[in-house]
Amino acid sequence: MPADSASLEVRATDRRPWLPHWLTSESPLPWLLPAAALMAVFGIYPLIYAVTLSLYKKNAATRKMVFDPTHNWTKILSDERVWNAIYNTFLYTGVALVFQLVLGMLIALLLDSDRKGYGVLRAMMTLPLVIPPAVTGMMFLLMLNGSFGVLSRGLIAMGVFPPGFSILGTANTAMAGVLLAEIWQWTPFMVLIMLAGLRSLPKEPFEAAAIDGATAFQAFFKLTLPMMSKVIAIAVLIRGIDLFRAFDYVKVMTDSGPGTATETLTSYAGRIYFGNADFPYASTIALLTLIIVILVSTAFMKAFKVKL
Amino acid sequence: MSFKDHDKKTFIADTARDFAARRITKRDFMKKMALAGVGFSAFSAGLLGNTRGFRGDLSLIGTEAMAQDASVTQWLKDVGSKYKGAKIRYTSEATPPTVVLDKIKKEFTDPTGIEVEVEIVPLEQVLAKATQDVQGQLGTYDLYYLDQSWVATFAQDTIDPTQYYKDKPDLAMPNFDWDDFSKPLVDGLAMYEGKMVGIPFDIPIFMLMYRKDILEKHGIAVPTTEDEFTAAIKKITEAEKANGMYGTGLQAKSGHYSLNCDWTQMVWNAGGSIFGADKKFKGNDEAGVAGLALYQEWAKNAPPESLNSTWDGQFQMMAAGQCALVQSWDEFFPGLDAADSKVQGLWMPAKPLQAKPLRPTSEVGFGEIPNRAHQGGSVLGLSKYSKNVDAAWLFMQWACSKDVMTRCTLIGGFAPMRISSFTDPRVAEKAVVGPGTTRHLELVKWIIDNDMASEPDMPLWAGFSNNEIPVNLGKLLTGQDFGGDPKKCMDTIAAAIDAAVADAGL
Repeated sequence: MPADSASLEVRATDRRPWLPHWLTSESPLPWLLPAAALMAVFGIYPLIYAVTLSLYKKNAATRKMVFDPTHNWTKILSDERVWNAIYNTFLYTGVALVFQLVLGMLIALLLDSDRKGYGVLRAMMTLPLVIPPAVTGMMFLLMLNGSFGVLSRGLIAMGVFPPGFSILGTANTAMAGVLLAEIWQWTPFMVLIMLAGLRSLPKEPFEAAAIDGATAFQAFFKLTLPMMSKVIAIAVLIRGIDLFRAFDYVKVMTDSGPGTATETLTSYAGRIYFGNADFPYASTIALLTLIIVILVSTAFMKAFKVKL
Repeated sequence: MSFKDHDKKTFIADTARDFAARRITKRDFMKKMALAGVGFSAFSAGLLGNTRGFRGDLSLIGTEAMAQDASVTQWLKDVGSKYKGAKIRYTSEATPPTVVLDKIKKEFTDPTGIEVEVEIVPLEQVLAKATQDVQGQLGTYDLYYLDQSWVATFAQDTIDPTQYYKDKPDLAMPNFDWDDFSKPLVDGLAMYEGKMVGIPFDIPIFMLMYRKDILEKHGIAVPTTEDEFTAAIKKITEAEKANGMYGTGLQAKSGHYSLNCDWTQMVWNAGGSIFGADKKFKGNDEAGVAGLALYQEWAKNAPPESLNSTWDGQFQMMAAGQCALVQSWDEFFPGLDAADSKVQGLWMPAKPLQAKPLRPTSEVGFGEIPNRAHQGGSVLGLSKYSKNVDAAWLFMQWACSKDVMTRCTLIGGFAPMRISSFTDPRVAEKAVVGPGTTRHLELVKWIIDNDMASEPDMPLWAGFSNNEIPVNLGKLLTGQDFGGDPKKCMDTIAAAIDAAVADAGL
């Protein structure tokens, strides 16, 4: 019997005889339908709706919408707040990524041990991740309060700031205050990813390096980092996309202020949507965010040869 | 240990003891811990967010004086029972009447069988929910809590209550007495282009509040003008700053409506207005710029956290003894006189500050009324998209009836909408220092009748007052932009607003 016929026979006996052919694994389409339907309803439809909305101009007084496909896109180009929001979004994403990546790697290296108690420490690293971001924002809002916040008072006592200084109420320091909450909450996520990567590395190259007399630094930069590059790239990509949509901490802690010092693209879109009820323009800003994320992510994946 | 530290620690210890002895609820415990700056109560504080913290006296609920009249219950039963099972929803800020109504709604739901769901969220979320509801004409909410600055925006989405009262005599509440509503409130809050958009629901209004002990200590007379106020707050800041006390406290959170409220008052007091008769923005004229410049001066004599505070933060500054003179919302009073207040009886009410002559209404646009006391009132509007409009109408009448509004004032400690509430003996009886005090209300009535100002009535005002104006003011006050120049800031706002008004064809 030819091999192909044998395999077909096995597959035929595997098949549940009472199932119609279109419901077996040979016909994947029906099995994909629920997921595809969900994607269509919750992903594609809102996207198409947002694109459609962005092609309209809304009269704020009458609420009437007229088809004017260039209005919102040309408005974006001349809107200084959009450019400020793009700058703030990149600043927020970049600074948070660098801190989370470096701290995440350092903490992961410290926790990468099988000694007693380290398992508990690793488990404890997940605690900040389970707190809702809005609650974390409130926690830091209180801790950074110029009058009674524990962090503010500490910094004032150390002479970093004058008495009563409001970190979140000052344009130059507000972004740092918001980033503090972001970095505190999401560094453990990086730690977990880095730990998973570190613990999956083969031991042989490190043993060989040790025999050759390599120092810990040399082993880290010549072995650990190159071998971890894919893990790091994926972690940066996931966090980067998430950071680019920054909203929670900004909304809770500064509401994009002072002025527009912490206004990101999503928080600006939110203000236009909920404050001015200009749904078409808010949708256009949201689409701009999506376009930037796609472009930057694609460039990053090409540069670092990340394949998903 | 400084006196302040000692004070804070004893406050925490007392609160913990009260909680252990079940004298206060878990919620109150969390709130107080948040006030004391204890991190773990962040969640509780987070829930309270930028809301108007309730400062009344809920312990009055259930007392004999607060019982509902049997005839009202019978009427609700007779008229409302045919809507049994209907569910009505409204969303509102934690405004005192909403909080009280939510607590006493059984008086309505039991006899009628109509369910009432009240969503209490911060003001900006109320606006967001109402905006989405009217845009899609969804009818998710049967009643809208409408801040006075949104009345023009939502005028087309509500049913005129006076008209509905006439159109539906079988549902009309007996002795509702429309004439009992204070006329300035109806005109200033509820009317837009001849239509009554909703029933006046609450009226927080600016008044001067001062710490009598601090003023006496420094030999300062109660200020009656902005100049005297400015001199007084400078003197107090200079003398008391080392003790953590400033002359005043502001609600100057960048990008928040509260900052817009403060700013409008400064402009009006400087003899200016937001719009001119030509419908152009006038905040950048000489008077408007002078008003803003003075506000910048006040900000220098306020706790720095003022720049990150809304009305709730401003109240906390007053309650925590961080400031001595404030021109702001009258409804802070019951909280300042609360049983556990550290400043009980120390804050006194006074008439709003006088300043330059007011700009006449003939010279302003969009129905704006420049005056000495900014009001942040609201109306309760009946949604024309409601799927249970009659059930909602019954609830609305009950909620705004004489008896319920008077009881809401007593429990919530806020200024009443109805003239009869001011003269109610139960209200007069509470005009003493203590929880749920009404000792400020006599003055509040005078202010409503004589000094009440109103922001412009225009559909775009909700957006301007929540975005363009407070965001740019925030940039100026926190040094992000304009190099401290109020004129540059106002010119930027003027350009944005004039363009938007022209674009909308107003």
